[in-house]
Amino acid sequence: MDFDLFLLFLQQGIVSGLVVGSVYALLALSIVMIFKTSEVPNFAAGEVFMAAGYCALFLLVFQHMPLWVAIPVTLVASFIVAALFRRGVLKQVAKASGSPVNLVIATLGLSYVLKGLVRRTGFGDTPRSFPALISTDSIMIGQASITKLDLSIFITAILVMAAVFWMFAYTKVGRAMRAVGMNPKAAQLMGVDLERIHMLVWGLAAVISAIAALLISPKILMTAEMGSIVTMAFAAAIVGGFMSLPGAVVGGFVIGITENFVGLFISSRAIVVAPFVAIMLVLILRPQGLFGGKFAIKKV
Amino acid sequence: MRIIALLGALALLVALPFFTTGYVVYLANLLLTFTVLCLGMHIVIGEAGQFSLAHAAFYGIGIYVAGISGTHFGTPFPVSMLLGGVAAALVGLVIGTVALRMRDIYLALATFAFGEAMQWVFLNWNAVTGGPNGLRIAPAQLFGLELVTDKHAYPFVVISAFIMLGLTILISRARIGRSFRALRESEVAAQAMGIPVQRAKLAAFGLSAFFAGVAGGMFTLFSTYIHPDSLGFSTTILVLTMVVVGGLGSIGGAVGGAIVFGLISELLRQAPSWQEIAYGTILVLFMMYAPKGLFAFLSDRMGRLRHG
Repeated sequence: MDFDLFLLFLQQGIVSGLVVGSVYALLALSIVMIFKTSEVPNFAAGEVFMAAGYCALFLLVFQHMPLWVAIPVTLVASFIVAALFRRGVLKQVAKASGSPVNLVIATLGLSYVLKGLVRRTGFGDTPRSFPALISTDSIMIGQASITKLDLSIFITAILVMAAVFWMFAYTKVGRAMRAVGMNPKAAQLMGVDLERIHMLVWGLAAVISAIAALLISPKILMTAEMGSIVTMAFAAAIVGGFMSLPGAVVGGFVIGITENFVGLFISSRAIVVAPFVAIMLVLILRPQGLFGGKFAIKKV
Repeated sequence: MRIIALLGALALLVALPFFTTGYVVYLANLLLTFTVLCLGMHIVIGEAGQFSLAHAAFYGIGIYVAGISGTHFGTPFPVSMLLGGVAAALVGLVIGTVALRMRDIYLALATFAFGEAMQWVFLNWNAVTGGPNGLRIAPAQLFGLELVTDKHAYPFVVISAFIMLGLTILISRARIGRSFRALRESEVAAQAMGIPVQRAKLAAFGLSAFFAGVAGGMFTLFSTYIHPDSLGFSTTILVLTMVVVGGLGSIGGAVGGAIVFGLISELLRQAPSWQEIAYGTILVLFMMYAPKGLFAFLSDRMGRLRHG
């Protein structure tokens, strides 16, 4: 490979990687948000993402709703479903046993139900394409070419992340969420309504997943299996240490860029396996992730 | 009570091939294979409390090693099955050495990643696994006896399942089983009691991989074809679900869960979307109202009926 081509690939890999990475970062953010407050890795994140994408597709394409109705309706629906799941199901699961395994399995249950429901509607049987809301004309950044759509995906994702970080850092409810993540009992003693915070966190995480779905859907073919993209988000969350929100974002970009580099420099067949190799390497070399703190051993 | 149930089950298993069709026998073979997978999962999660999400990978290694050694080298099937189990256990020990330095969620994710990577290997190592075309497996054979149909294979599948069940009970009653349970309850306390924590974890992991590998060998007794698609995360989740629905931590739960949940999923096979909805709903309802599993739930109810 000569040097010019190498430079071209390098630039294209970084630019395309930042675009898909921003979507992975959003999904990773939603997973880590939930993990920090409820200690549950949400295995339904991918299906929430998929169902939200289908909800928007249904409203926009089959019901011919205007954009300014369809998108808010999708986001509100995602919020309500996730918040109700937390309130109606997980609360009872936690009361019944409290073991994290059971909570994880309940999220797996949700993922099956959502996938089955989408298949039931019949839209999930054939791959669908989501209409591009922004033109796909390409523009050049350095030597790399991306579409206007890509650019808007990246910018929207960054804005959403900024909003999330602002919320966690400066609003009362964000501080309450962080407090619940650090020590739920103490937070409750300070007057935080635990159940309300849990519902809000699940709802917001679902909204973030829904935004990720709206952003990436025009770039991929939609199927009922598209939730498997969440593996990349889990990889991103692990790279970032699984407990750190900035870590999740950085992890998203690292995974996105790695994926593109593997595709460009090695082989497109290796793309699928790259994140798992990355997960294993990170876990072996630096088990706490790039941004994780020290391991704490649970006392007896 | 227990003995009567066991004898009843045994009589049913023996009588089954005489009055049913090939399909029912095939189903019985499959359920028994899943029972062994569940026993393996039971050892690592139920007894030792270590999360392992790579079960399908070990199962796959068992299938490919047993299938290839039987097909290409003509080994008698008990040898192929044992080879499958040992190969899976060796890989499990290697992965375990690395992965078991982590705990909880990190261990779960590391084993998950390994499982997915193995599925990729199965799908892309064309020379050995046939890649996306799948692998044809020759009928299992022992001293000229060929197991061509499900009914031929059935007695051997039943015997293998009972051997593995006996092995599970032995492990659970032995010193090593007790150290697994101590580990599950508290790692720190187990260490303080002088249990070599790391070695016990590794043993649980390796044993569970061995069980999955033997289950893979059992699969090659009655099946002639394997495709990597059926060796992914969803299979691991199916096994985990069976163990949890039956009752995490009890051998009876693992066996019962495999049979009950296996039957449910087979009944719903014709309607994949309903199957998924039913799966999900069952999982969620169990976690909400019967977190200790079906059998604990039932005996709890029975006890209440009896004692008011």
